[in-house]
Amino acid sequence: MANPAIVSENLTYHYGDLVAVDHISFEVAEGEILGFLGPNGAGKSTAVKMLTGQLVPKEGRAELLGKDVTKHTKELQAQIGVCFELTNLYEPMTAADNLKLFARLFGVNGFDADALLERVGLGGKGKVKVETFSKGMRQRLMVARALINRPRILFLDEPTDGLDPVSSETIRNIVREEQARGTTVFLTTHDMVEADKLSDRVAFINHGRIVALDTPHALKQQYGTRSLKAEVVGSDGRLETREVVLDEPETAVRVAELFAGEQVITVHSEEATLEDIFIEITGRGLVG
Amino acid sequence: MNREMIFALLRKDLGLYFSNRFFAFITVLGLVFYAGMYFVMPDELDETVEMAIYADELPPILDTEMEDSGIILREMVSAEALKAAVASGEQEVGVVLPEGFARNVAAGQQETVQIYFSSAFPEEFKELYATFFREIGFMLTGQPLTIDVEEQILGEDRAGEQIPYRDRMLPLFAVLILMMETMGLASLVSSEISGGTIEALLVTPLRVEGLFTAKAVFGVGLAFVQAAFLVAVTGALDEQPLLILLLLLLGSVLVTGVAFLIASVASDMMSVMGWGIVGVLVMSLPAFSVLVPGLTTEWVKVIPTYYLVDGVYRVVNHGAGWADMSQNLLALLLFSVVFLVLGIVVLRRRFQ
Repeated sequence: MANPAIVSENLTYHYGDLVAVDHISFEVAEGEILGFLGPNGAGKSTAVKMLTGQLVPKEGRAELLGKDVTKHTKELQAQIGVCFELTNLYEPMTAADNLKLFARLFGVNGFDADALLERVGLGGKGKVKVETFSKGMRQRLMVARALINRPRILFLDEPTDGLDPVSSETIRNIVREEQARGTTVFLTTHDMVEADKLSDRVAFINHGRIVALDTPHALKQQYGTRSLKAEVVGSDGRLETREVVLDEPETAVRVAELFAGEQVITVHSEEATLEDIFIEITGRGLVG
Repeated sequence: MNREMIFALLRKDLGLYFSNRFFAFITVLGLVFYAGMYFVMPDELDETVEMAIYADELPPILDTEMEDSGIILREMVSAEALKAAVASGEQEVGVVLPEGFARNVAAGQQETVQIYFSSAFPEEFKELYATFFREIGFMLTGQPLTIDVEEQILGEDRAGEQIPYRDRMLPLFAVLILMMETMGLASLVSSEISGGTIEALLVTPLRVEGLFTAKAVFGVGLAFVQAAFLVAVTGALDEQPLLILLLLLLGSVLVTGVAFLIASVASDMMSVMGWGIVGVLVMSLPAFSVLVPGLTTEWVKVIPTYYLVDGVYRVVNHGAGWADMSQNLLALLLFSVVFLVLGIVVLRRRFQ
């Protein structure tokens, strides 16, 4: 990959004897969205902390925008945006004051808090104290904070976890807009639907190791089974389900037989979800 | 270090501190309370003692002797009235002389003087009154004591100009104000760690050194301004203002270090209060040694605030100067630096 925005080489971290991240290596291209999928405790947040300079790796190295993170931490942190998994806003302060504080820390001149709040769907809420915000509003404010410095790389840790559909969609739209602007997005999540919708590629992490890394489509091709599911009227008049596996030599014949021999009511094509594939690869689910 | 960042953090911390109603309240209340208490307390020390007495006829020699001893006699109408006054605490000491006391003693007759003490009267002074009346007895019989006693004060003679309690208590007030700020700052820092906002700050160009500088400047500034305000309104800055302000500044650095230590072990406001009270109790002990001399021994010098309390006390009440304070300043500087560095190291370990 030419000029990758993020490079991880054998990145490793352990808390005492517990290995949280175990020699993970990958690259993320500029403007790419990488979904980093794994269950709780898989090592996602520790990996993000090393990539963002919050933790120094025990082994291996992390590189952002061509520079070593441990050697150029502050220089790189000026060019990235981080949205944390847990809400960490100044609750007694107003939404605008929260943003203005970080704008000063980033040295952003002529910062327009109201415009950014408008962008994340919090228009008119600038003078409202964060302690009165709902979870969705807080999360949108967290995303807004991560965008203050117009980052070249955006790290989003479970940005839509537990949010209502409207808030989730607002955040997804912002991520797409940022990608369109050329921002690289590192999206940590255990929500496979979200990862599937947003990511150019996804990496599965389990017990601190990357067990698969590819585009969602390629992973489905490689590990999943596509099928056609039809509801037909059975001999006793009740609805029954028939399944024809696709991508096999006799698929066309079976489909023709189905339509010729049965009274077909509905037909749906089905493909494996990322969660199905994760379970197939790791033997465990994404949640828990 | 970026000044703009430090100012942004100071502004934020000031806003957060005063948005916490509890700390805003005790900050204002503390200043008003301690300054108010100072002015409510008497500005001079009464060096006389009142004694109730009942006698059918007061021996003239008693008046003369009492004037010299600083005891003021208050004649009661009856022995019963005297006992009631002592029992109620209105009078601390009461003496009932038997009928014809002066005459009978002069005639060589054995008489019994009844002295009543209130329950709160210090045990060690009781014998003084008995001795005093035995001496009066000798005088009445025409056999005055053949011993003259000469008194000489070594050091500053403060007879007639004793230090009022409010001026003795001033260092205690200053320490209490400084320690109150310790709790406020510790709570602020602790909530930054437990709330995760410190993580958010540190993934910006802000460096850890900048963060601690801002916290230290905020803590020292807040504590110093309040302590300086207190000594200013009480008139303690009239002499050696720079010396007193320097002592308070070093004291503010010291309590900021203590605040960092508390924040490194406390997880919420309640635990900050718990640890803070322990800190207040320990750090205010030296002030009691000034308030009640002899209450503590040399060990009190291991408590860092001793050098602040002793310094403020001696400068304000005894006119001590820079030369007299050199050891206090050095010790306080040493303790302040040690506590601040220790606080920063321990606190840094907690969130990194």
